[in-house]
Amino acid sequence: MLIEIAHFLSILSTGLFLLCFLFSFILDAKDIFAVNLISRIYSRGFLLLISSFMIYVWLAANDNFNVLYIAQHSNTNLPLFYKISSIWSAHEGSMFLWIVFLGLWGAVYNSFVSNSQPLKAKSIGIISIIAVGFLLFLLLTSNPFETILPIAPFNGADINPVLQDPALAIHPPILYLGYVGFVIAFSHAIAFLITGDSSIKWENLVRSWSVVSWVFLTIGISLGSWWAYYELGWGGYWFWDPVENVALMPWLAATAFIHSLRVSSKSSLLRIWTILLSIIVFSLSLFGAFIVRSGIIDSVHSFANDPERGLYLLGFTGFLIITSMILFSFRLPILSSNKTIAALSKESFISINNIIFGTLIFSTMLGILYPLIYEFLYEQKISVGAPFYNAIYIPTTILACLFLFFSIDSKWQRGFKKSFLVTPMFISVILSIASTFVTYYLLLITDLWILISIFTGSLIIFRYLIVVKDYFLNNKYSNPFSIIAHLGLGILVISIALNSELSTERALNIKMNESDMYRDYKITFDDLRLIKRSNYDSVRASFLLTGPDGKNIELSPEKRKYFARGQVTTETAIHLTPLKDIYMTIGDQLDDGSWIVNIQFNYFIRWIWFSAIMMALGGSMLALSLVRSKQ
Amino acid sequence: MNIFIRLILILIPIIFFSFFYLYINDDDYYPGADFRVIDMPKFEINDLYKDQRFTHLDLEGSYLINVWASWCITCRVEHGFLQKLSDQNIPIVGLNYKDDKEDALNWINKFGDPYKFIIHDLKGRLALDMGVTGAPETFLLHNGKIIVHYRGEVNKMIWNDVFIPIINKEDIFNND
Repeated sequence: MLIEIAHFLSILSTGLFLLCFLFSFILDAKDIFAVNLISRIYSRGFLLLISSFMIYVWLAANDNFNVLYIAQHSNTNLPLFYKISSIWSAHEGSMFLWIVFLGLWGAVYNSFVSNSQPLKAKSIGIISIIAVGFLLFLLLTSNPFETILPIAPFNGADINPVLQDPALAIHPPILYLGYVGFVIAFSHAIAFLITGDSSIKWENLVRSWSVVSWVFLTIGISLGSWWAYYELGWGGYWFWDPVENVALMPWLAATAFIHSLRVSSKSSLLRIWTILLSIIVFSLSLFGAFIVRSGIIDSVHSFANDPERGLYLLGFTGFLIITSMILFSFRLPILSSNKTIAALSKESFISINNIIFGTLIFSTMLGILYPLIYEFLYEQKISVGAPFYNAIYIPTTILACLFLFFSIDSKWQRGFKKSFLVTPMFISVILSIASTFVTYYLLLITDLWILISIFTGSLIIFRYLIVVKDYFLNNKYSNPFSIIAHLGLGILVISIALNSELSTERALNIKMNESDMYRDYKITFDDLRLIKRSNYDSVRASFLLTGPDGKNIELSPEKRKYFARGQVTTETAIHLTPLKDIYMTIGDQLDDGSWIVNIQFNYFIRWIWFSAIMMALGGSMLALSLVRSKQ
Repeated sequence: MNIFIRLILILIPIIFFSFFYLYINDDDYYPGADFRVIDMPKFEINDLYKDQRFTHLDLEGSYLINVWASWCITCRVEHGFLQKLSDQNIPIVGLNYKDDKEDALNWINKFGDPYKFIIHDLKGRLALDMGVTGAPETFLLHNGKIIVHYRGEVNKMIWNDVFIPIINKEDIFNND
């Protein structure tokens, strides 16, 4: 009964959202009664949707295996937390969550923004029609409410064990919040284009919403990377998997967008860029949904599928994006500003930044499309991997960092003065050259790209440290959020460079109570235990590592066998030090009784996530101050 | 000039989406299906019921090979359709995948047996050689070669879209 109620509520909410869309285009958007009505319909629609979802969560928490999807992805033995997170462990449920978040952003926006805001009615209407499109997709092609009556299985099939992990349980929700958050910027851009009144400052209306979404996106991607590192046992943080790339593109576009937004909200310059980027960010989020859910690309992230899903998603996203682009191209004249951008002003650097990020997005898209085009034309499968992306990303990122370095001294709306090439720049260059030479001599790094990366990363860090010094000692104001986020970028560049240069690994064959050496560490196989848990059996090995300083570290990697699916997973053991992770996994036992053990020294890997946290921190502080200044 | 830019702005997404439309409507493309012809790997594995050995040589002619397990809920959903295929005299070989023998036998007793015989791939070795990623998956075997590999539940729609065209083309399972 509850299942049918939840199903019915979501159908009803689709109807209300459709009504909301129709009213927003039929009724006069300047009439406050009309806006009140639209706003009220939207909040009722969302209430139905969220109730439907809460019932679904209740069903999952209570092991209602009459629901096919819950039976396929949950299990009675699971802790409550994973029973709930199993909802977004596969296609139908995660699509449901995606739509609920879409509705949620609209609802938060609806309740916080005054009904007299000029673009509100149309924006809500656009959010509604997107919700209708995806709700129909959910209900018609991927129904999460499908039942297996009359005989429900006694026990569910279980969530994939590698997904039974706290970081991965929260990774999809946070990522989705980021993707769909850009619906606010997108709907305003479209509402602005439809209205055609260039005096409306839509950029100011969406800045805080976009920055918050960007923060979610940054945290979501980092969580995924962190999870892959400790759970999959390969020791890497980024694999250029097609779906990772599909997730990275909206982030790149969003980063360019929030920079461009800063310029447009200040002076109406770069409006073409800003509108275009807002469309691109959301389009790329939708494109991601299409790629992942249509089964076009083989990836660890792809879902099982039927062809109608791909066709529907392609049709709906195609409709949204092509309509947006037609609208955009017809409104081009009202977007261009008669002001020109002064050479070497902050605006000029941000437009260069847009071009650089555009290049990265274009190349990444090429890397995703090339195998598809190749397969379409020659019927052969090829894959584009790390070498391609490294060749593009390393020089382009370094270029972006160099422009960032010069932009720190630039001013809004005017070119540089004679004092442009001043001492702080000079000092940072000297310090960076010095630190690059120190790393070169200490670590004997010979790879030129690594040295250049260290130099550019240091440039940014030193230059911003001087800004921080001026901020505190000389009371010279600069934007603290930008400082934190860009210091994060500097740290990111250096840690990625050092990580790829210094990290090492080796596979050892080792028997119980025997020892082996790896670099400066003596490794002793101390103990082996069998552990029985409610949903898996596990072999846990204990190793004692004696470091050069004589201290002992205990590492206990595990291998688990989950009952429900017979799946074997590795649990890594990681010892943290400030500069490196000592990372161990165990493989199979050989016939002579020895075990294969993989040991890795991963340098600066924590710093990569730390830098992402700094970027997210800068973003959240900016968002907070934007929200405060509005009140 | 301005018109030119506008046209390009509209054409880029149209070309982009047309490509994907053509791609997913291509004859050789069906999500989850793989039509590359590969040799059936050699194997020697026990039967689920008795300790009778089966090898690749027992699979002369044409068969469907269905990968299933008792822990797989989708396999239960698929089971009814397999029974129908079996009623039409289509020979199906079960490949019981990473499953406990007792559980698998209970499952067969409870839901029926559409299989000619079932091989018990406890460790998933043969499945690994065949490129199985999970359960259920279904293979079409013809003269020692795998000609279709489908990942996911086979139902009426999948049977008609994926298997029937190639069965008619190669003239397989011709019962009369």
